Amino acid sequence: MQEEGFIEYQKVLENEEHIIRSTQGVIQKIINWFRSKSMFVLAYGTGCGAIEMPPTFTSRYDIERLGVIGVATPRQADILIVSGYCSYKTLKRVIRSYEQMNEPKYVIALGSCTINGGMYWDSYNTIKKLEDYIPVDMYVNGCMPRPEALIEGFVKLQENIKNAKKEVGYIQYRENNQFYKNNQKKIFGNNIKPSYETNFAGMNL
Amino acid sequence: MIKSLQKIYKIEEKGERLFKISIEDRELLDVIGLISLNSNFITLSQITCTDWIEDDIFALNYILTTDKKDKNLMVEVKISRKNSKLPTILNLFPQAEVMERDLHEMYGVQFIGNPTLYDFALENWNDIPPLRREFDTLEYVNRHFDFRKGREDNRDVKAEIKKRRVKAKRLKNAKK
Repeated sequence: MQEEGFIEYQKVLENEEHIIRSTQGVIQKIINWFRSKSMFVLAYGTGCGAIEMPPTFTSRYDIERLGVIGVATPRQADILIVSGYCSYKTLKRVIRSYEQMNEPKYVIALGSCTINGGMYWDSYNTIKKLEDYIPVDMYVNGCMPRPEALIEGFVKLQENIKNAKKEVGYIQYRENNQFYKNNQKKIFGNNIKPSYETNFAGMNL
Repeated sequence: MIKSLQKIYKIEEKGERLFKISIEDRELLDVIGLISLNSNFITLSQITCTDWIEDDIFALNYILTTDKKDKNLMVEVKISRKNSKLPTILNLFPQAEVMERDLHEMYGVQFIGNPTLYDFALENWNDIPPLRREFDTLEYVNRHFDFRKGREDNRDVKAEIKKRRVKAKRLKNAKK
């Protein structure tokens, strides 16, 4: 089936052979450079880390000088920041937002709660490791991390994108989808809807 | 109002601004209706619940506040833990909807007549209500999650800190 416009282009970008073949290529290098300089962040915050994001984006720290800017919907976004603890109910929304984002997409996990539970390590309704449920590209630790730490996380992520690392989160999510889905089912049961496994445009999962 | 209530019920005075009445569950609607309509305790600010597992009861406190917010009145109702049912007070205070929904989710108290007693903060919760005292949080967490292992270079630094403190003390004493 022939598709038009950006869907076709998206397919070309998502094709893994293409990525491996052209890691040394000039065009891919240029594309990666462009990508690293225009990171659209989903304006969404969970937990207390969301309070560190407004100063990061406004005049004092002004992360827009690095090409990072907030957007309103997951369809436009490249980066999802999971800022702080994640309860079951929030995680469901986070997963849905993540699955709606167009590839290439990256996840930054902010704060120690996403790493090992933090101060909620014995809580009955917050998750302990975020990487079990969605792939994480960059962890920023601290409770809470200052805007400087978040900026450093962004800069490191930009370097990773520029160097075109093979083990990128969204490819992991596509290839090991069953692993993530099983972990999600462990805590949700069969209550995640809709299932994206079957109607994921053109991909064999 | 408090004086007229004192004729019927025993009112405990808990400080200048806080009063407390203990009533039985079947007179709950009557008493709260009477107080809210005839006195200046006009608004419901909170419903709290305490789990007394030793006595096998839940103690619910309906906290009423005056219009100037200078005095609070606690209306205490005790119900058994096994058969925890109460009439809703939605007709008197619409804001009780959320409070009752929360108590239903966290303690499993049934409020008869409240139409919104479905999932609130916990979605698809299958276990016993989590704020009941027989709920073992740590056991639940160990059953549902696996923890990250510690860092490889994670060392116990307490002994080292003690050593350094002793050294610093010695240096201080030597200087004197």
